[in-house]
Amino acid sequence: MIELNDICFSYSEMIALDHINLSIKTGEAIALMGANGCGKSTLLKLINGIISPDSGSYRFHGEEVTHKKLQDVKFSKLLHQRIGFVFQNSDTQLFCSSVYEEVAFGPRQMGLTESEVESRVNDCLTLLGIQEFSNRIPYHLSGGEKRKVAIACVMSLNPEVLVLDEPMNGLDPKTQRWLVDFLKKLNKAGKTLITSTHNLELVHEISRRAILFDESHTIVADMMTEELLKDAELLKRVNLVDTSYHYQL
Amino acid sequence: MGNAENKFDDMPEWLSKSENYIPLSDKDTFVNKSILSVFKVLSRIKKQDSAGGARSQINVSLHVFCTFVLILLVSLTRSFIFVLIVNVWLLSVLSMTDTIRLVKILKMSMGVTLFTAVVMLPAFISGNTYSSITITTKVFATITAMGLLSHSTEWSTLTRALKRFYIPDIFIFILDITIKYIYMLGEFSLNMFYALKLRSVGKNRSKYSSMAGIAGTVFLQSKEMAEDMYHAMECRGFTGEYHINDKSKFKWRDYRSIGITAGFFILFIYFGRM
Repeated sequence: MIELNDICFSYSEMIALDHINLSIKTGEAIALMGANGCGKSTLLKLINGIISPDSGSYRFHGEEVTHKKLQDVKFSKLLHQRIGFVFQNSDTQLFCSSVYEEVAFGPRQMGLTESEVESRVNDCLTLLGIQEFSNRIPYHLSGGEKRKVAIACVMSLNPEVLVLDEPMNGLDPKTQRWLVDFLKKLNKAGKTLITSTHNLELVHEISRRAILFDESHTIVADMMTEELLKDAELLKRVNLVDTSYHYQL
Repeated sequence: MGNAENKFDDMPEWLSKSENYIPLSDKDTFVNKSILSVFKVLSRIKKQDSAGGARSQINVSLHVFCTFVLILLVSLTRSFIFVLIVNVWLLSVLSMTDTIRLVKILKMSMGVTLFTAVVMLPAFISGNTYSSITITTKVFATITAMGLLSHSTEWSTLTRALKRFYIPDIFIFILDITIKYIYMLGEFSLNMFYALKLRSVGKNRSKYSSMAGIAGTVFLQSKEMAEDMYHAMECRGFTGEYHINDKSKFKWRDYRSIGITAGFFILFIYFGRM
């Protein structure tokens, strides 16, 4: 489904991704792990077509995604519908006057009738347990509620792939648990999940496969998540944990 | 956990089916241009953080002082030769900087000089040749000197240097915070534009209301950040006084700069008498 071959990307002179090779199959649940600033968020932006690689190739369903193709409005819009992106900071994702309008923003553009839009929005709000916020202003919600609205906005587009940038950040334990269960269910329903996270306690629940970045912006491990969590030495080497780390299920 | 999983058992049918969607064409120029312009500003600020080069190794306060004196001398002189000497000096300094910086400074200087030349054109035609050429070259020297200062010195150290010239603390503080928040709010709005682009998967008939939404959210965010900062400042015992801890010592380069500025001052007096 997603094929990244020898991808390199840099911001001015700063290397963010260095010769990345990655293949993701439909229905997989993948976690991107690594210390801060190792290139996880940049890779997620690249997968979503926000940025395009300096060198190397990115293929989605066999079709190459290039800078030139992303200039084609139809191509980029279809890519954005098929790959949903949940930003790390939910505030940046919400700009409509009410939660209902926020969730309806995408489906309305997809040419659905107003009754279909309403049904889809209500389904999403119910699924995420935020029906009572329907008429509230998104900006005034709590961090966890905003995260749910942001996910609902993306889910209403019914993407094949859901990309989440540090989704557990700033959430209380109860909401984190809720989110883990929700992501597991989505994956069971056939959605491909790509999640960047630092949360070592929950990562094995939201992913079966883990990709580990080191501080030189390269992938140093691509293995089963539980196997990776057991390899304390490797996690220490990439500066993700310190000496007090012990793997516990 | 079992109960939690049961909550999602009623997953809507459409969510487990793949979407058969063909997007309609729509113009995204406004969003793309906004992304590009915000990105440019952020890159500019980020590059300022890593400003280097030979000149930046000079003590920043001294650099500001020498630039100020040079601009003052250029403004006061009536001698075209003096302005030419300053320009030659500035161009030789400019030639020692890297290409990207050189092009940027020259672009700015040439642009402003060209504008001045156009403004001075009537005076030039009506016979005031000497004055109009002197003024135009003075503008070139001033902008180039300022360009060299701003492109080779980090903004944070520049504001710190202002403290040495007894600029009021409140002014330096506002300047510092402004630069910081332009960057932070710029990053925030850039991400909002990205989100708008990613969520605009079809024909968006209310582009401008989305833009208004972004502007409103950025405003609310800035208000929240300002309040947070105010509380943080109170908690940290901020009294309005801005302390600097500048331990930089004078190096041989600094003495050289003083010498060059003194040389220009002597030239200014010498050509002033002619």
